[in-house]
Amino acid sequence: MVALIVAHVVLATVLVLARTRVGRAAFAIGALGPAATLAYAIAFLPDVLDGETRTATVSWVPSLDLGFDLRLDAYGTVFLIVIGTAGLAIFLHATRYFAGTPKAATFAAEMTLFAGAMTGIVVSDHLLSVFVFWELTTITSYLLIGYSDHLARARSAALHAALVTGAGGLALLGGLVLLARESGTYLISEMDGALSAGPITTTAFALILVGAVTKSAQFPFHGWLPGAMAAPTPASAFLHSATIVKAGIFLVGKLGFLAVAVNDWWFPTVATIGFVTMALGGWAALRQTDLKLLLAYGTVSQLGFLFALIGSGDRNLAFGGLALLVAHAAFKASLFMTVGAIDKLTGTRDVRQLNELGRRQPALMWTAVAATASMAAFPLTFGFAAKEAVFDGLLELNGVLIAVATIASILTVAYSIRFLVGAFGPAAADAEPATAPDGTPWGLLAPASALAAVGIVLGVFPTLPKKLIDLSGASIPGEIDVKLAVWPGFVPALGFSLASLALGAVLALTPRLIGPIAACSQITPTADSLFASTVRRLISGADRISGTIQNGSLPAYLGTILIVAVGLPLTALWRIEALTVPGSGSLIELLIAVVIVAAIVGLMVVRRRFAAIILLGAVGYGLAGLFLVLGGADLAITQLLVETLVIGLFALVLRRLPAGFEKLSIQPVRLAVAVSVAAFVFVLGLGFGAAEPESTVSDGYLERSVPEAAGQNVVNVILVDFRGLDTLGEITVLGVAAIGAAGLVVPIIRSRREEA
Amino acid sequence: MSRERQSAILDAGITVASGPILVFSLYLLAAGHNQPGGGFAGGLVAGVAIVLAWAGGGTELVRRIVPLRASALMGVGLLISTLTALAPLVLDMGFLESGYIEFAVPLIGDVKLVSAVLFDIGVYLLVVGMSLALVRALGESGPATTESTEVSS
Repeated sequence: MVALIVAHVVLATVLVLARTRVGRAAFAIGALGPAATLAYAIAFLPDVLDGETRTATVSWVPSLDLGFDLRLDAYGTVFLIVIGTAGLAIFLHATRYFAGTPKAATFAAEMTLFAGAMTGIVVSDHLLSVFVFWELTTITSYLLIGYSDHLARARSAALHAALVTGAGGLALLGGLVLLARESGTYLISEMDGALSAGPITTTAFALILVGAVTKSAQFPFHGWLPGAMAAPTPASAFLHSATIVKAGIFLVGKLGFLAVAVNDWWFPTVATIGFVTMALGGWAALRQTDLKLLLAYGTVSQLGFLFALIGSGDRNLAFGGLALLVAHAAFKASLFMTVGAIDKLTGTRDVRQLNELGRRQPALMWTAVAATASMAAFPLTFGFAAKEAVFDGLLELNGVLIAVATIASILTVAYSIRFLVGAFGPAAADAEPATAPDGTPWGLLAPASALAAVGIVLGVFPTLPKKLIDLSGASIPGEIDVKLAVWPGFVPALGFSLASLALGAVLALTPRLIGPIAACSQITPTADSLFASTVRRLISGADRISGTIQNGSLPAYLGTILIVAVGLPLTALWRIEALTVPGSGSLIELLIAVVIVAAIVGLMVVRRRFAAIILLGAVGYGLAGLFLVLGGADLAITQLLVETLVIGLFALVLRRLPAGFEKLSIQPVRLAVAVSVAAFVFVLGLGFGAAEPESTVSDGYLERSVPEAAGQNVVNVILVDFRGLDTLGEITVLGVAAIGAAGLVVPIIRSRREEA
Repeated sequence: MSRERQSAILDAGITVASGPILVFSLYLLAAGHNQPGGGFAGGLVAGVAIVLAWAGGGTELVRRIVPLRASALMGVGLLISTLTALAPLVLDMGFLESGYIEFAVPLIGDVKLVSAVLFDIGVYLLVVGMSLALVRALGESGPATTESTEVSS
């Protein structure tokens, strides 16, 4: 398993390094990735059917107990086969699709990496490695969607997808961490029974659900998926059929039964989200004229269904859902490749322009017919067998759900028929018909046909995948009492399937019915505009907030900082019991104190800046002297050096300032702030002198310094060892501040020099 | 502070002094774990040397004494400290955990090398880089506005 993931990374690296040399072979090389995935899954199949699982662990950060813990069970094997099969077909299709495209090798590398990340999600057992691969799919899908980076549309679509799935990813991370805390383990396989109901578990699953909903393009976050159509068609085929959107479904399937066990709200929520998405997606698909968009909204719809079924935590629904997932991957990848071929051959995907394509492209048409039949759940296809199982499962559960599912199925049948008629039927009367050559290139056709055939073969022999799908839900309690059969017999579920087919056909072939639906859709806000306005409001809101906080007035900044510094700890003053003058009261301390006070008084009356700096330095040196007298040699040295350096740097600044201060009128607010800060510090200083804690932190440090850190200078040991993290933070801040200061000063000096 | 008014003796003296001060800063860095000093103090001393070098010979002399880019010093310093902090994780120890080795060197005696010194070297480099960045930025020659006529009082 480890080698499988590494192989994808190696392939992607090779493709990027040799991008100028691989030429047409790019996708053929990349195809080795999914081919390996498929081969691995098939080789493991006999074992998994015996109920075995396979695990592997790669240590990452052992001290944090962090590693890539991989585990492959029947559920994962189903996904591996889907990813491998769809991936292999799509890569082969892309070899022909991208022939002669300069950026093909880079794109192939991104696709390969993406396939590897998806494989990683499926075989991960450790929650954090799930997350790492999850985010990797977000990043690679961003690159895939934004392939045509010269188009603003592609760039914004890629950003949309990355923002939505990225935000969901953050929620997911929070949820996963909470889940791990609550269950005491990061391994999904050990989580069963380790969870108990409670607010933390609820929060954890809610956050995980947000992650899955965004990734699987569920309502109301589905807007990015149709936008992702900006990607080249092979990438869309892969994204929509087998990969990224299935990641969310994979996760809810993997964790769903855990959630159901402790959360009552899980099933209703997942079902509502899924079924709403399903109905909305089907509705939207019906009114598209771009074949690819039609399929995209169809994907949204199907994903909603799968999300509700597989995430339900119900044995029967998950069984039917998983069968439907397999069917969906096959027909959706096949249909996307069909659209890719049409686009490549005619230069358009618009149903109004495509004219009588079936006559010139018969093979392509029959491929599409076979795939669409599975999509519409026509008998003798795997889509039908799966849907029968789903209807059967729903019948036992809930009347509302089966009603919604039937409506969505009617819409599915309708847009399936519209897809076929639109693609291969006559052009619209008022549009200029597109021309097409005779015959479909083998490289574009064969992969699509192969996947369409899978849907038919499995439809005729549905018992082939039955055992694997059965085992996939083995962790969910309960017994399966739905069938996966070529013909279910005359059962109630059959009625729903046949009714869907009949009503769907009526809807599709009656344009008068579709018109009002399209008009109705115009007035509802689309997910796209919702997203755009959210982003716009976020930016303008941030603008307003930073405009208020960062108003650019130095006195306001300083005043705010000082008031907060004085105001917050004000309550601490009440705990001071007595005021004492700290120090031993020796003559030398008194002398230094007099010097400091004299320097401060002088500081307030001098007019020249240079004199002020010297006096400020005297205050600092005086303090250093006090530190030395009290025994803090290191502190004294540091204070002395800082003071010296600051005087030097001040001298540099002074060159550019007038020699004397401007005469300022006294402003009451500033005076009040200054006086209150002074009074506060004064009282606090006297109060601290009186407090004598029984033990101090320094005792512990002094004891541990030599044995633990092998250093006798405890101050330094604290800096570099005991409190090393603080130091690391401090030097980072110091570096950033220095860069910032230099960056502010240099342009000002340069512009002044140019003016002079 | 205009350059014409400076004396040649001061210039020469500063130039000569800044070198030994830099060496002293290195001593503070090395001695810091057991005696007063350390990376921060050492870096500040080097910063003082850089300011002095600027006073003696302007940005040109600073460039000669420390012929490195300030950003590079800061970056390398931060990198060394961060890597020192992270390294124990690879060896299955805690973040920032330190270790040491002891060995005998002829003529010098027992030497104890603590990994935390590496961390301190990073701190040193960063502080030197910071001083250098500020001196370079502020010390760049431009139109000086030290005319007393601008004083409004």
